[in-house]
Amino acid sequence: MFVKAIPEKCSGCMECEMVCSMTHWKVVNPLKSGIRVEKKSVTEDIPHLCTHGEDCNFECVDACKFDAMKKDNGRVYVDYEKCTGCRLCEKACPIGAVWIFEKKAYKCDLCGGDPMCVKYCSQGALELVEG
Amino acid sequence: MVVENGCYGGRILTVDLSKKEGKRQKISDAFAMKYLGGDGFGAYFLNKLVPGNADPLGKENVLIMAPGLLTGTAAPTAGKTSFFAKSPLTGGWGEGVMGGRIGFALKQAGYDALIITGMADKPSYLLINDDEVMVKSAEHLWGKFTRESTEEIKKDEGDVVVASIGPGGEKKVKYAIIDSEERQAGRGGLGAVMGSKNLKAIAIKGSRDIKVADPEKMMELLDRWYKIMIESPAFNDDGKYGTGEFLEWMNAERGTFPTRNWREGVFDERKEIDPYYWAPRYTIKNKACIQCVKPCGKAFVIKGKYEGALDGVEYETLFSLGSNCGNPSIEALAKANELCDLYGIDTISAGGAIGFAMDLYENGILGEKDADGIDLRFGNGDAVVKMVEKIGKREGLGDLLAEGVKRAAEKIGKGADKYAVHVRGMEPPAYDVRGIKGMGLAFMTSPRGACHLRSGAYALELTGKFWKYEGVDRFSADGKGQEIADMENFMAIYDALGVCKFSRGMFLLDGFAELLEAAIGERMGESELLVIGERINNLKHIFNIKCGWTREDSKLPPKIRIPIPEGVAKGSFISENEEKKMLNDYFEARGWDKKGIPKEKTLKKLEIEEFMK
Repeated sequence: MFVKAIPEKCSGCMECEMVCSMTHWKVVNPLKSGIRVEKKSVTEDIPHLCTHGEDCNFECVDACKFDAMKKDNGRVYVDYEKCTGCRLCEKACPIGAVWIFEKKAYKCDLCGGDPMCVKYCSQGALELVEG
Repeated sequence: MVVENGCYGGRILTVDLSKKEGKRQKISDAFAMKYLGGDGFGAYFLNKLVPGNADPLGKENVLIMAPGLLTGTAAPTAGKTSFFAKSPLTGGWGEGVMGGRIGFALKQAGYDALIITGMADKPSYLLINDDEVMVKSAEHLWGKFTRESTEEIKKDEGDVVVASIGPGGEKKVKYAIIDSEERQAGRGGLGAVMGSKNLKAIAIKGSRDIKVADPEKMMELLDRWYKIMIESPAFNDDGKYGTGEFLEWMNAERGTFPTRNWREGVFDERKEIDPYYWAPRYTIKNKACIQCVKPCGKAFVIKGKYEGALDGVEYETLFSLGSNCGNPSIEALAKANELCDLYGIDTISAGGAIGFAMDLYENGILGEKDADGIDLRFGNGDAVVKMVEKIGKREGLGDLLAEGVKRAAEKIGKGADKYAVHVRGMEPPAYDVRGIKGMGLAFMTSPRGACHLRSGAYALELTGKFWKYEGVDRFSADGKGQEIADMENFMAIYDALGVCKFSRGMFLLDGFAELLEAAIGERMGESELLVIGERINNLKHIFNIKCGWTREDSKLPPKIRIPIPEGVAKGSFISENEEKKMLNDYFEARGWDKKGIPKEKTLKKLEIEEFMK
């Protein structure tokens, strides 16, 4: 299961970043979001987020030296008890979908199967792909 | 505890460009509850900091930026930010609201308002990175378009949000804008105030959490409002066609789409400027303001002669650079719109000025030589494109039109003032108030000059019902004083909270009570909120009084006395008596005397006596 971004439909409203950080951390802070929208140009807004193996070979999991990047049933998530913010996962990710902020890694964890970013994307720019 | 527990940054940042230093002050709960944020903070600080006789383009003017209270809370469509200064266009209260990310970034840096004072000695930009404040050289950016400046600063500073002026602001075009990622604080020339301060741009990076008093409740409300919004007809209409969706209706069903410098109220050649024509051809996707789940903005790909225009055209601009200039070409319109954004000038005032020049040209007041050899007859879309560029560069006739129609008419003489359509120096938006009389009053009473958004009363007037009003007759001048005062109080709350007015059919004041409770832990009912709205409106008016406003300044232009010549509003106009009556009624509703000065008891009720001293 992963969230597929369709940049051609993204309006750049950033509601996904806000609901993501609200859901996980009870605050609004895009730097603590597991999805980030790059405002590239007037016509390009590009959501970036982890596709949980669809576009990679779980390089972040292999790179982590602290056993903090966990893989469970095809879902990759951060164990915050163990994460030190060393940036190895950030560097290893081939699609730029893990970010370090204040010594913690942030990435998509699929919200336990019902991703809030998909739920509140009014433009259909984020799609949940099952399987 | 609203400041500590709620979504406030809790601090105001003041940057003195002359001394290159920043100071921080905390805000109290009492202050927050009295003024809320955004518009309320602007109304307070502009009054406190700018003397009435200050030169709008001088050292004494200040530029204020204040995000709305709900900006940064994820509440749908509540991401707006306002800019304030004494306006170089009207010489009074100046205000522009935008949906760019800049205010959100400010809040994330921990501030509820940014106040910029003084003047930099050379072209500069302001960099705010949480607690770090720097004034940096912008000499390499001077002369560059808004979009280019933003890109250059991002290259140097990384992931910052930028608000920038273009050449128009640098050259102090009286209606220059501030642009942040294709959203603009458009009206009243606040970009020229930035230019006068040698301030090319503001770049902000914030990393703090924005917290809310009750996150679970906020998520629950978000869910509820999200559903209401995406199920509303506006979601589909705005999504597919943008703000110009009702253009055909305004022409055919209401007859109040100002055309050829307010000669007509119906634009017969409107076929291609109607979004139902151009959206399927040129729109590639929607573009949203921050936090907006029902975006009305459009990204464009124009083909043909004006290939390359990227930013979609809004309703007001379809009038100003379209019908007002008799321009039937969406391609020329899109190009002119794009150039306005890049040079950094207001599309409404620019189109008002060009339509005015075209009217003078057709009436022999401006000749070919005056027009720099451009064929300024109505309908010439290429001429509109050329004139926008000339205004942005302040070149030839463009230099004169850059002053706005009021000053331009004074300089031209020869009876040009009869053709100058403005209220207190500001060119009006796309509502032919001859057939929407309450909006005529709203143009007169808006603290920033002819404006549709301070009251937002056009939908009420044109459909006859909204909120507590029903059966409103747009052709009548009766009962309009109370109606417009009520609507202005209501809309000031939108601007204080940072909510988009296109949500006003959904978010009524009772909806805000719950949102405020979730955001700051304090529930405020309709009556409490309306008092704050009234306070804000009075403060803006007091600022205008300090700047020399008198009742005689609030008047409609001569064209409003000429009946609409055709269409369903044929024969309608606003007479001198109606104008006087509506204004009298409004002053009474406001608790002001016959000259428009707030009465002692009004000031006392609103707890703002100190501001009139």
